Amino acid sequence: MEQIRSLSQLLEYAKKIGAEKGPKKLSVAMAEEAGLLSAIEEARQAGFAQAILVGNADKIKAAADQAGVNLANYEVIDERNEPAMGMTAVSQVSSGKADIYMKGQIHTNNFLRAMLNKEVGLRKGKNTISHCYFHSVEGYDRIFFVADAAFNMYPDLAAKADITQNTVNLARAFGVAEPKVAVLAAVEVVNPDMPATLDAAALTQMNRRGQIKNCVVDGPFALDNAVSEESAKTKGIVSPVAGKADVFIVPNIDGGNMLAKAIVYFSKNETAGLILGAAAPIVLTSRADSARAKLLSIAAAVTLSDFQK
Amino acid sequence: MTMQKLDFLLEESRKGRPMTLALACPYGDDALAAVARAGREGVVKAVLVGDGARIRTLAEQDGCDLSGVTIVEEKNDEKAVERSVRMVSSGEADLLMKGLVKTSTLLKAVLDKEWGLRTGSLLSHLFLFEIPVMDRRVIGISDGGMNTYPDLSAKAKIIENAVSCYHKIGVPQPRIAALAAVEAVNPDMQATLDAAALAKMNERGQIRGCIVDGPLALDNAVSEESAKIKGISSPVAGNADMLLVPDIESGNFVGKVLLYMTGGKGAGVILGARKPIVLTSRFDSMETKLLSIALGAVVARS
Repeated sequence: MEQIRSLSQLLEYAKKIGAEKGPKKLSVAMAEEAGLLSAIEEARQAGFAQAILVGNADKIKAAADQAGVNLANYEVIDERNEPAMGMTAVSQVSSGKADIYMKGQIHTNNFLRAMLNKEVGLRKGKNTISHCYFHSVEGYDRIFFVADAAFNMYPDLAAKADITQNTVNLARAFGVAEPKVAVLAAVEVVNPDMPATLDAAALTQMNRRGQIKNCVVDGPFALDNAVSEESAKTKGIVSPVAGKADVFIVPNIDGGNMLAKAIVYFSKNETAGLILGAAAPIVLTSRADSARAKLLSIAAAVTLSDFQK
Repeated sequence: MTMQKLDFLLEESRKGRPMTLALACPYGDDALAAVARAGREGVVKAVLVGDGARIRTLAEQDGCDLSGVTIVEEKNDEKAVERSVRMVSSGEADLLMKGLVKTSTLLKAVLDKEWGLRTGSLLSHLFLFEIPVMDRRVIGISDGGMNTYPDLSAKAKIIENAVSCYHKIGVPQPRIAALAAVEAVNPDMQATLDAAALAKMNERGQIRGCIVDGPLALDNAVSEESAKIKGISSPVAGNADMLLVPDIESGNFVGKVLLYMTGGKGAGVILGARKPIVLTSRFDSMETKLLSIALGAVVARS
């Protein structure tokens, strides 16, 4: 497949999957908000998604009416207890009736508890579950994948290796044949007093020893030498990743969150996010996200689900 | 009202007697071209400290006009740095700028106990950036590179340094957002604890001349809409003039996004010494270099 280089292209690709192979099915926990139903309806009309809506059927009906969505096109499972909504929604995915687990109005704790449940959840062994933001930024010819800026606070080396692999798999689903992974720090030299640089060096070696696959990992990098070839050259860094990184592994939630939000608020960009590393893609959007961002997250989940099948 | 556009710095720097800038080892990184231009445009009075023959050759190669620029002859790099610093500490010059010499060499000289520029405060870097997608709103970041993992008292000093700079550029009560990844205090996240403490220190008058609030995530610090959705009501939320970042990694990431992904321009200066220090990178645009020199000059004047 051709590499998806912007989030507009992602949307087109998801439509293509829908047209050629049929829509993917979302299972939505507490689908009781109009904005969310609008985004799901848009994905349905674009042909790449269908949905099972779990929640209080009266409230789902009210939200659907408000959004102008016809519920005849959806399966609704009436469930009034919030923790049970998560369990019911996630078991649709683990039993194979749906492909993607999606958060509605349900509290994040209840949503995740269901996802981690040993019997009906989606945990894949001990693999770390992680979040990925993906951005297309004006002036750059490729999508930037940033992880983990939202889910794991202060991951250790083992968790960072999982986060890297999860994110690489998503980049590959987007058609990046061998993603270039930059492990970020504040500087590009290994410094014993800066733990991020030590983890970066270790992740590079883990990649060379086959412990992180299907990608080229290098680090530590400062952000400039990961995105700008000129900057890397002046610093004398010779690496296939320098200036060409697709994936950015951040040291922790503080730097990651500020990096992702600086891109969102300070540049011309499109951004969406996904939860990775479980047995199925997980969409966790917030009420503050735009309708477009929600649609793009669904398109990404559809693309990843198709890739994993 | 948040600050908009940085060009006022150029006008401000031209008011009154021009400040004298001592540029140590002006051999590349385009610092020479920027200083020569700042000199011609009356932003500063330029003094170049280094090997005169080498400077003239480089200027000729780059088509750089040195008229009106003074050259102080000092062939040895380390001595040129010392001479530049001494010029500033003795009052012969008003601000210092780094040319093609290691930052560590320059800072060692700046911190020299006898003839350096130390004040007992902490050195910190403030970067002001004009953001095109935000209607050219100016947002400051500190500390983007001098302090690696500042503790609470270091963070308080970083804010104090920035506040004195804001006062000098005409912002009497800057709104400072102490950033973290989230806006709720979380005992497992040190940045949120420091942010809460800084907000309280501000309330108790331990940090003055500004309004500090935190923890704030970057989105609710700069976007009123985002602050509203999260239900945060504070004079800082959505309207921050400056973002205090928790550590060098986050500062570096935000700073580099601004430099590499926004198409905007900025002005940076090192604060906390007796006089401002200008330190530009070869990747900074000519505009950013000029604005940094102008910012240094404005801070040096008052």
